[in-house]
Parts: sequence; C-alpha cells; structure tokens
Amino acid sequence: MIRIKIDGEETLVEAGTTVLDAARGLGREIPTLCFDDRQDAFGACRVCLVGIEGAPGPMASCTTPVRDGMKVDTLDPASRRVATAVVELVLSELPRPPAEHTELAQISRMLDVGTPRWPGEQHDVKKHDESHPYLAFHHELCISCGRCVRACDEVQGTFALTATGRGFGANVAAGLDEGFRASACVSCGACADTCPTDAITEMSLLQLADPEPVR
Amino acid sequence: MSDRFDSTVTTTCGYCGVGCRLEAHARDGRIASISPALDGPANNGHTCLKGRFAHQFSRHRNRLTAPLIREHGGFRIATWEEALHRVVSELSRIRDDHGPDAIAGLASSRATNEDCYVMQRLMRAAIGTHNIDNCSRVCHSPTSFALRKSFGLSGATGSFEDIDAADAAIIIGANPTEGHPVAGARIKQATLRGMQLVTIDPRRIELADYAVLHLSPRPGTNAAVMLGLAHVVARDGLVDHDFLSARTEGYAEVEDLLGDYTPEEVSRITGVPAHDLERAAHIYAEAGDASIIWGLGVTEHLYGSEVVRLICNLALMTGKVGRRGSALLPFRGQNNVQGSSDMGALPDTFTAYRSVGDEEVARAFEERWGVTMKRERGLKIPEMFDAAVAGDLKAMYIFGEDVAQTDPNTKHVEAALESLDFLVCQDIFENETTKYADVILPASSFLEKTGTFTNAERRIQLVEPAIEPPGAARTDFDIITTISRELGHDMGFETPADAMREIAEMTPDFAGVTFQRVGRRGLQWPVAPDGTDSPILYEDEFILPGGRAQLAALPYKPPGSAASDEYPLILVTGRRLQHYNAGTMTRRTGNLDLVSSDWLEMHPADAAKLGIVSGDRAEVRSVVGAIEIEVLVTERIEPGHVFTAFHFPEIRTNLLIGASADVNTSCPEYKVVAVAVTPIGRAAGVPQLETAAT
Repeated sequence: MIRIKIDGEETLVEAGTTVLDAARGLGREIPTLCFDDRQDAFGACRVCLVGIEGAPGPMASCTTPVRDGMKVDTLDPASRRVATAVVELVLSELPRPPAEHTELAQISRMLDVGTPRWPGEQHDVKKHDESHPYLAFHHELCISCGRCVRACDEVQGTFALTATGRGFGANVAAGLDEGFRASACVSCGACADTCPTDAITEMSLLQLADPEPVR
Repeated sequence: MSDRFDSTVTTTCGYCGVGCRLEAHARDGRIASISPALDGPANNGHTCLKGRFAHQFSRHRNRLTAPLIREHGGFRIATWEEALHRVVSELSRIRDDHGPDAIAGLASSRATNEDCYVMQRLMRAAIGTHNIDNCSRVCHSPTSFALRKSFGLSGATGSFEDIDAADAAIIIGANPTEGHPVAGARIKQATLRGMQLVTIDPRRIELADYAVLHLSPRPGTNAAVMLGLAHVVARDGLVDHDFLSARTEGYAEVEDLLGDYTPEEVSRITGVPAHDLERAAHIYAEAGDASIIWGLGVTEHLYGSEVVRLICNLALMTGKVGRRGSALLPFRGQNNVQGSSDMGALPDTFTAYRSVGDEEVARAFEERWGVTMKRERGLKIPEMFDAAVAGDLKAMYIFGEDVAQTDPNTKHVEAALESLDFLVCQDIFENETTKYADVILPASSFLEKTGTFTNAERRIQLVEPAIEPPGAARTDFDIITTISRELGHDMGFETPADAMREIAEMTPDFAGVTFQRVGRRGLQWPVAPDGTDSPILYEDEFILPGGRAQLAALPYKPPGSAASDEYPLILVTGRRLQHYNAGTMTRRTGNLDLVSSDWLEMHPADAAKLGIVSGDRAEVRSVVGAIEIEVLVTERIEPGHVFTAFHFPEIRTNLLIGASADVNTSCPEYKVVAVAVTPIGRAAGVPQLETAAT
C-alpha cells in the first residue's frame, strides 16, 4: 500500500492507483474531460490538473500514479488556472455553447468559465450525419477528446471511429467519413454514451435537448 | 441529465441472457432514452443496440391495450371482467369434462422469475397438472440436462468475469457478437489483451477474425470435434490425472472410447483438418486457465445434450472447472430462460430442478399450496402439440411465446393450435400464435413490471418499472394471480416480492434471496440463508453423490438430417445482431430500419452452381416445407451449407424445420436441416445486404 496526502488528508491506496482515483476515493472533485472510467486513462485534455509537491508544474492526475509520501493539492491555483483556460479555449472553438446537460457544460460551470474571452475561428456547421436511426453526429461540437474513438475500440471492440485532421481541423469520422450507417458501426451507442459535448448523441434526444442559452 | 427526463430507474435488460443493467429514462410516460448502468456486473457500463435503443416497441401503436375475445371469426375488444370470466369458465369446464391434464400452459422466458413461478403454480395448483413448460425446451434444455448429469447444477459454472481472467477460450456453436453483443465485446477485448481464442462453428463468425484458430466442422458433427480434442489431450499427456482421480468418476470408459477418435478419423467426419484439431486441443489444455463458451449451435441437435456432456468431459480431463478463468459458460438465449427453468416452469421439476417425483419436495409443495399433485411429469412442448392433434389436450394458456413462429415443424404446431377447444394467449402484441386464440390478454413488457431476471451466469437481478403498462394492459403477475384466484386457488401474493419470499422458503438454492439483497449487484445462485452467493461453482466439490463429477463415454452419432441428391445443402439457423428471436419487439423499433428482412447466406461455389448472385430470390425447400428468401453470397459460410435467421414472420424459416429433436430433452434439431435451393429470378430494389451482413 502507498501512503499519500491529498489536500492534507492522509490515505492508503494500492500501488498503481492514479492520483485521480485516489482523490475521488476521498470524495474530492477533480474536473475531467477526456476521462471515462470504462477506458484507459488518456491524459490528453489537461483539465484534471493538480499540484504535486516537488513537481515542476501542474500534473495530469488521471495518468499520474501515486508515489509513497506524495502530497497532492487538488485545488492548486496554478492547476485550476490552466484547466480553466483549457476549457475556455475548447469552448471558444464551438459555434454554440454545449447543451446544459453535457459534461462539457457541467465542467465549465464547475470551473466558472463563462463566455470565452477569445473570439476567433469557430468550427463550421457542416452537414450533420443523421442517416442512422439512432445516432446523430454533429461534427462542429467535436472537441477531439477521443472518448468516442476509445469507446469504440476499448469497450466495444469495433474500431469504426477514427480521429481525423490536425490542429483546428481535428475531428472524428465514422469509417472513411461516410457516416455511421455506411461504416462498420454496430450501433451499440457507446460513443454517444461517452461523448461530453453531444457531438455524437441519440437521434431521439435531439428534440429533448435543453434550451440553448443565448450567446 | 435529470432536467431532460421525468424519472430514471435502474433495471435489467429484457433482451438476451447477458443481463445488462440499464438506466431507463422516462419522459411524458414513455421511455426517452436508455443508458447502461456503470456498476452493472455483467455489462460494466456497456450495452448493445437492442438494450440501449430498441425500446420504442413499448409504445408501438400495435401494443395490445385491451383484452380481445374471438367472435364471428374475428376479435372484439372486451372488458377485463368479461375476458377473465371467459378464461376461468372455459378452463374450469375443460378441467371438469376432460380432467386437468387436458390443459397445458407455457411460461415465458422473457418474463420475470416471479411471473414464471406463479404461472407454474397456477398450472400445478389451480388447474392440477404438470403440463407446464417454457421455451428453454427449444434452446438450452440439453445444456441443463447435461450439466446436471456431469456436474450437478443447471447453470454456468462461472461468470462473464471469467472471460477476463482466462488465458484461452473455446467458443463452440455460439455467435456472441450478434447473439450476446456485450459478452461478444468482452471476448473481443480479452483477445486484444492476448487471450488465445479458438472458434468452432460451421460459419466464420465475426469472432473468428479475433481468434488464433477457427474450426469449421460440418453441421451436426460437434460430438466428433469434442472427442477429437479429448483424444489429443489424452494422447499428448495433457490430462490432469490428479484432478480426475480426486474429483471425478468415469474416465476409464472415456479413455477406452477416445482411442477411436484420432485427428485423422475426426477430420474425416467433421472436415476439420487434423492439424487444427491438435492445435486447438493444445491451446486449451496448455493454458493456465481456459473457459468454454457454447450456445444453441451445440444444443439444437439430435445429440445436443451428449455434446454438452463431452464439453464437460474435456474440462474435467484438463481440470479446468471450478476456479476463476476456468469456467463453462453456456450463453443462454433469452433474458430469463435460466430463471424460467429455475422457477419450475418445466413439466418434470419444481423450483431448482427438483423432480416432481421427489416425494419429500412434492409433499412440501402440496402442503404449502393445499393441493395434491401427481408424481409423474407432465407434457413437454412438442408432446403438448402431439396431444392436441390427437385430441387429448383441449386447452392451452400460452404466455409470452410465439410458438407458431419460433417452434419447429410449424404446420404441426398450427394444426395443434387449431385442434384446441380453447386457447388463451397473454402477450404484448398479436403474433402468429394469437391468430388461433380465443382470448388474448394484454400484458406488460420488461419496462413496465417489477421482479427479477436470472442471467446466463445464474445472477438474479432486479427488474423495476420505468413506465406504466399502456391502456388497459396489466402486469403478467397481476393477470396470472387473478386467474388463479378466480379458479379457486388464491396464492396470497400481493406483489412479486411476496412470490420471491415463497420461492426462497421452498427452495434451498434460493434460501437467502430477497429483493433487498439482490440490490444493484444481483446474487448468483445458490444463495445461502445468510445471503452469500456463488460466483464460482464446484470450487471444492461437485453437487453429485460423493461430490464427484461424472464423465460420460458417449460416441459420435451422425445428425438426424443429411444432405442427399434431392436436398443437397445443409441449412443452419441463427440470429442477427439487430433482431431478437421472433422479432416481435425489435421489428417494432428503428432496428428494422437497419435490417428489414432475413436473408440466406450461401458460399460462392454453391451460388455459382445454382446460377445465383447476391440479391436473387430463391426457394428453400426441406422435407417438411418451403420458404422464399433473398440470397447473400458470402465466404463466411462453407460450401455445402446455407444459413439464415428466423426473425421475420414474412419468411417463416421454421416452416423448414422438422420434428427431429435431442434424444434426451426434445430440443429441436434447428441447426441441421437438409434443403434444396432453387433460384426464382431477380428482384428489383433489393436492400443492401452486403452492408447489413458484415
């Protein structure tokens, strides 16, 4: 067992536990965006940052394993400042704010992000893929967190989704960007279940979406 | 989430036997969405397109919302009072005139344990007959029979979790990525982590692409395959003699028999290369832990129950049973086919497979219910139809099963239903069977009721209502207990929990089961009085005399149907991912938009001989019947074999299936039917079958 201190509280956890799991085990709330318990930790979004004594800067808690004697500050101001800026930058690329119930909206509320301060290029509203009876794909809401791709690979094992493009053009495609219906998709819905922005969602929920706040 | 939905309940999926735990979100009295429960032990936060999406059937316009009574050749809407009066008076009249054994009932493997328990109690105590059965008769009854003979209990020896812990696995006669998608996904993940998988199936199933080895035996030769694997295990010194001598009986006879089944001889019978048999045996036997998974491709044969015993032999010879990672996992077809049988909805057993001839058990039930019962078993499903045609069976009460679409020898089934004086069907939709009904009672889907389902790993899990039954429809539990009371046998149950209390009191294997203990994680029977459950069976001893497992020396025997000049192809039937059995539910959802018909798979060599290309229509003819269907030419199937599903009443695949059935359990031989295929010309506007089939 490994002994660590989180926000001054001492705890014993199994070797190999991540800082995120250890902190959540103590009831600490650490915001995450690319993390899903059903998938291997990815460490891409830099939202789950925490302060660790002796570390050169904020650390991603989801991919940092605990170390004996480690001291973690989940509310470390530098970490929170970076995480908040990351979420703000993510939001600044979207043509409309995410629906209230989505994880991205919840995290931005938790971090008190508000309206992004940096106007700039936003994702084009391309043609929506609504060819499938159950799954809708609104690419402009994709933040390239990779959760849908990993759900398809690591949970379902179908490998129907692919990360595409680079930089601002990064997105996700079903098959060779031919839409869900024509791809190898087996319609399990794991992608819609994990998507933190409703870029992929259930067709039947489109009409139930929360009212969109005016921007 | 909560702002979009009025309510969310955690329940258990009503589709396949995996038993996914689901969060059912309702809005305005309808299901708005379903998501997987993150703590579901069988699904770990995943589910498939049936569990997640195929729920619109629950409010489909064709739902039965009022009782119907046959009148002047059609049906008219009736009040519950009138319909129940009709049922009770007709059943009473027939019982008085012809005796209780002129009546038979079918319990539904899609309904809850409590529904099935009260249904068998209704037949046994209110009517007075053991003529009660359920659809496990036509799927895994051979598994139940064989596991009881070999090990003692009628259920998987372990859990789905064993797949995660196994170093190797054999899948025989099952297509999990379509039939049990969440378990299929789990197997895929295990292979990606390095589990050595061997698939054995006449078709090249999707998991064959993830396997280190795929064997394609001729349909009906599974016994030879298993004997061949056992031969290699014995020949190459891979037998766990310590396990055999400490915990089993009967190996000497098996060893004598195995000599005949050299890889070369087995190759001659099965068409599987001798080298592949040797490799498969080594992969399984040399793995630290290995599990065997099977489905209806093993059981629905003339000697299906014997093949299951040979599977058990192989596990015993290598000592691979009774520990984490080394399990025998029969993949049960329907959500509660395990439970409906556990509950005694069988003609020969009370709860937990205790014989109706067991004096002590029978007396306990007689005392509890205040009745006397025969000690001889009642009729199995196929025998019910025979008795109806012969005029001995006068009435049937069929609850949640469409025998006219799903049972073999369909014309005989229809003749039987027509011969009955009185047929009552209790269902959520009209179907092929209700066409013959005198009274149709509108019942409830799994989304509208309370109770428990038992999945393929013996796990009892809670079912809770997310929405109300539509219109005047009632819960099955309510309908059955009401009819029983009006027949003069008041069960005294207010709620399904009351029924579970009686089940627990009357059944040692369920002694500690309460709804409260079942909770969110479920309980795997046997459950001790203190609530301790049993994820792994037989860790220390088997539940047979002396605690010893029984090996069975059973030789290979050919299937009941063989290709001939007149019927040169062998038809195998199975399921598609998008649909579920008779399709009653999935055909009334968006799944129909994904796959809208059955199709026949045929190897390019056979197609070339017949001049058929993908999209052509063909007539498929067997000794007992004929159907018309579109053809898909694919190399997933071996030359000489054809494959189709049975989801669409327009096609009615089971018209082709004859009366041949497992020698021990009467489970029909759905998986081997000699057929002739004749092209009947090109059809325009054929759906894109190539896409749907991949």
